[in-house]
Amino acid sequence: MPDPRKLGIGALIVALLIVLPMMISSSFALSVMNQIGIAIIFALAFNMLLGQGGMLSFGHAVYFGLAGFVTAHVINGMHVDAFPYIPVTLIPLVGGIAGLFFGIVVGFVSTRRAGTAFAMISLGFAELVTGLTLIIVFFFGGEEGVQTDRWVREEWFGITYGPDIQVYYLIAAWCVIAAILMYALTRTPFGRMSNAVRDNPERTQFIGYNTHRLRWLAFALSSFFAGLAGALHAINVEHVGFETVGLGQSAVILIMVYIGGTGHFAGPILGAILITLLNAYLSDVSPAWYLYLGLIFVLIVMFAPGGLAGLIMMHEPIRRTAPYLLWQMAPAYGAALGTSLVGLAGAIGLIEMIYFRSTTVSLDSALVLYGIELDTGDIWPWLICAALGAAGGYGCKMTYPRVAEAYSAAMHEARALVTT
Amino acid sequence: MRIFGILACVVGLVAGGFFATSNSSAHAVETVKIGLIEPLSGPIAAVGTDALQAMETAAEQINTSGGVLGGRMLEIVPLDNAMSAEKTTQQLKKAVDLGLSFIAQGIGSNHALNIIQFIGKHNKRNPDKAMLFLNHSAITTAFTNELCSFWHFRFDANVDMKVAGLVTQMGRDVGIKKVYMLNQNYAYGKSFQAAAHALIKERTPNIEIVGDELIVPFGKTQDFTPFIAKIKASGADTVLTGNWGPDLVRLIKYAAGANLPVQFYTIYGGLTSSVAGYGADAHKISLKQINEYHENDGNIAADALAFGNAYLEKYKDTWYSDRYRWLVGMLAAAIDKAGSDDPVAVGQALEGLTFPGPLGEVQMRASDHQIQTPLMVSSLSRDYKMPIMYKGNNFKIAFATDGVINREDTTLPTTCDMQRP
Amino acid sequence: MEVFVFSLFNGVLYGMLLFLLASGLTLIFSMMGVLNFAHASFFMLGAYFAYQISQPLGFWSALIAAPILVGLLGAAVERYMLRPVHRFGHVAELLFTFGLAFVIEELVQMVWGKVPVPYDVPESMNITAFAWQGLDYSAYRLFMLVISVGIFVALFFGLTRTRIGLIIRASLTHPHMAAALGHDVPKIFMWTFGVGCALAGIAGVIGGNVLGTEPGMAIQLGPIVFVVIVVGGLGSLSGALIASLFIGILNNMAISYDFSLYPIFKELGVERNVEGVLADLVNLTTGSIAPLLPYLLLVLMLIFRPRGLFGMRDV
Repeated sequence: MPDPRKLGIGALIVALLIVLPMMISSSFALSVMNQIGIAIIFALAFNMLLGQGGMLSFGHAVYFGLAGFVTAHVINGMHVDAFPYIPVTLIPLVGGIAGLFFGIVVGFVSTRRAGTAFAMISLGFAELVTGLTLIIVFFFGGEEGVQTDRWVREEWFGITYGPDIQVYYLIAAWCVIAAILMYALTRTPFGRMSNAVRDNPERTQFIGYNTHRLRWLAFALSSFFAGLAGALHAINVEHVGFETVGLGQSAVILIMVYIGGTGHFAGPILGAILITLLNAYLSDVSPAWYLYLGLIFVLIVMFAPGGLAGLIMMHEPIRRTAPYLLWQMAPAYGAALGTSLVGLAGAIGLIEMIYFRSTTVSLDSALVLYGIELDTGDIWPWLICAALGAAGGYGCKMTYPRVAEAYSAAMHEARALVTT
Repeated sequence: MRIFGILACVVGLVAGGFFATSNSSAHAVETVKIGLIEPLSGPIAAVGTDALQAMETAAEQINTSGGVLGGRMLEIVPLDNAMSAEKTTQQLKKAVDLGLSFIAQGIGSNHALNIIQFIGKHNKRNPDKAMLFLNHSAITTAFTNELCSFWHFRFDANVDMKVAGLVTQMGRDVGIKKVYMLNQNYAYGKSFQAAAHALIKERTPNIEIVGDELIVPFGKTQDFTPFIAKIKASGADTVLTGNWGPDLVRLIKYAAGANLPVQFYTIYGGLTSSVAGYGADAHKISLKQINEYHENDGNIAADALAFGNAYLEKYKDTWYSDRYRWLVGMLAAAIDKAGSDDPVAVGQALEGLTFPGPLGEVQMRASDHQIQTPLMVSSLSRDYKMPIMYKGNNFKIAFATDGVINREDTTLPTTCDMQRP
Repeated sequence: MEVFVFSLFNGVLYGMLLFLLASGLTLIFSMMGVLNFAHASFFMLGAYFAYQISQPLGFWSALIAAPILVGLLGAAVERYMLRPVHRFGHVAELLFTFGLAFVIEELVQMVWGKVPVPYDVPESMNITAFAWQGLDYSAYRLFMLVISVGIFVALFFGLTRTRIGLIIRASLTHPHMAAALGHDVPKIFMWTFGVGCALAGIAGVIGGNVLGTEPGMAIQLGPIVFVVIVVGGLGSLSGALIASLFIGILNNMAISYDFSLYPIFKELGVERNVEGVLADLVNLTTGSIAPLLPYLLLVLMLIFRPRGLFGMRDV
């Protein structure tokens, strides 16, 4: 029987998902939320491979995109009665099945090996499919992709999927269903064996499991959910183009999942929400947005391989035993945050100014940064930003060891509390 | 438990975030806003930011001479699509939020098609908040043929018109006997190929097509030696290609490296990004390109030349696509003619509207919303008055006119069956 | 026959450039077990550095200085960034280099802008060395060939016949024993990584002016290089050479002969003007899909011989 508090929080999330769109009027914000929902499903599916199965794929968008194309064709076919009518509400299942199909076929070959070799094969397949999108025009529609119209006919309760808000509820519903299913999967024997194959394939083999078959199964299931997300994408944007199967799309989902954290079920959700939001709002503010994304990713790989969720969950044992210890750590964390912000302000200033000098449209040398107009032709903004960056960097060098000390002290104390 | 805790926090965070942003949508409509959806970040942002710069300069010219409707200013609202279909759709929704009636775009035919489809659906569902699409560079011919729409206006010559111009110019050169076609294997390359086949047959039946090749596009083809070898073996004296980007740069670099004695007739050979790519190699072979303006031609209308020179003076960038000036100028004229910025009225006013172009009058054809314009074929030459400049870099090479293609020769029939509101 | 020999020759020219790029990658992989996703990015940096240096100092200075700079940068990356990641395993290392590739591409755009830079073949070597089939081959193309062959020979003998090569190989297979014998294994790894990157840098210097120097060059060429080392057998230098040449020749043959599926379809009674699914297949020729053939080769190789041509073990 599930924990009642768990159910309570679950119900709260669902209630929030229902009420949220009623409170906002912006159709841009709504489209961002739709994108977040799709990204969450795709990210969770990707983490079935990377986090739970230990398989790093550089081409998982292939299944997302192919399912999107199949979905678009099925909907278009329904418009001209070439396909039997399926309610659009259930169309994501069609995408899921398409993803599953491609996952089974390709997965048979690619999951023979794990690790580096698997990553290379995924890259090869991605390149092959991307190349074919432009050549097999019948299916992929070439450069222009496949257009579709999600308004097929009126479904239950007068739903037509014309207005975006209806699509939002469709995505939200499927997102919750898919998340619950994928969470349940991690609790099954299959989920446990998938972890075992990741951690110690040899021992798994010794106790009688076929590691290839387990990886294959994980790959196929992951492709199913990726396909589900792809179908929702096709319904949401009403267009599927060649870039949906491309390396860029695969890279974004990988970055999302890893920044969010592969070790916890909620990590990919966190990453999907955060990166989609930043992508939607920050990219209008800074031309260097991709550089920041890359840098964040590299820093996470180097210093926090558990991702953001990993960082948060590090503190879970302390919170559970003695929440007041968290307050004891606050000064050290605050100091580190302060120095980081100073360093960041300097670094961002420098990056923005260099970008401005090298790529900007006008020859005016004035750049508006942090609400201040800077003359990049002058030496002072450069010196100030460099000084900020250096000071912040030096400060971080001083404060970060304090963070580690405060953390281990708190952990020590928490442990002592548990044992006594 | 903890997982759901994080989840609840995150959902709450998002809710808060949207509250913070969602009430910033209503704006008083003082200026006439034109949303420009282009890649302003990512690998081809240079093309997008150049378009933005050109549009802003063209709007500035209208504004300094008094704006529209007796004093309202034009404003370009940049919307970054990062060259992704998803973000294009998102930015269109943002444009709806901002209450924009005019959307301009041109980089990437796939995005242009998305905009056409989106606006078609949007205007049907929200007739009181209609939007017009002003297309400055997406040249897929179908947009003004079978896919034509009242809401779409194209200010650039389409693929067929440009090919017609190239073929017409080829017909004037009696030395051209054998042509080799090399194109990119996707929608645009294939439509170039089809148009070239039809137009060569019709206008220059004496020219023999000795080769017809499609390559994998977008920089995937690294080594062009085998293509150069095939061109040489075919005995062609001319290559006709629609290639752009690295696919054109490498073709030219390899041809120059092998001293291939042929002429290249291209659409995009004169783009800054192409010229920057082949650098000094370009003058070794005879490279021709087609567009509507270049500053070294003596017959360019004075106001166009003045605008181009002012632009060069200000940004140290050569003015190349005069159509940005037409787009903004014709929109302003249409708004004044309609007496309001209502998109339907402006659309009706744009139909048949004329504008003084650099080579003579241009006209927005009412039947398909395709601009009708003369074009010019020019060579990249070291013998010029003014060199091509880009962000202050002098490429030491420039355009020299080979021939002007009159409007009659670029005018082609349309299959458009326009549905008007 | 003439066409065959001619295509073979052109294929070798292209294949050797691929090899130059793949050699550094396979060196790093065989020594450290790290698959450097950012390898093509170091190739790109080599081209951009060469452009920047050759502006005031000329091509020859760039040929020496740019690879050294790239190599030092590579060594620094290994020492300060990759080494801390090493303890998280090979997948984390791969992820790190993936992120690095992303960052390098953005940095290159930040510094040199987003349009190509005019990095040209040096005038002194832009002269015709010989002509064949009516095409001129510049002295530069031959120079590229000589450099690539020279590097293969140097690498091969350096690794198998010298004391340094022996120590490097010992550090890989028996790191503890090598360390016990007084060798600084981390330092050896650092310099191996540096030399691998420097090789990519050389490829950038001599290939950048032929292929075009632009921010997209890394992502366009990178995946092909992975195909080369997987097909050749991960970690095998001779395998990389054979695979590079094979892919180069395959590319040239596919375009020169331009095989079509049409005759097969004609036998089946399908004509060129067919509609629908078959339309794309009937008109498909090997020339129009040549750059995709390596990926097809990769997939076939993984199905039928997962260890690659010369690999010691399955990939």
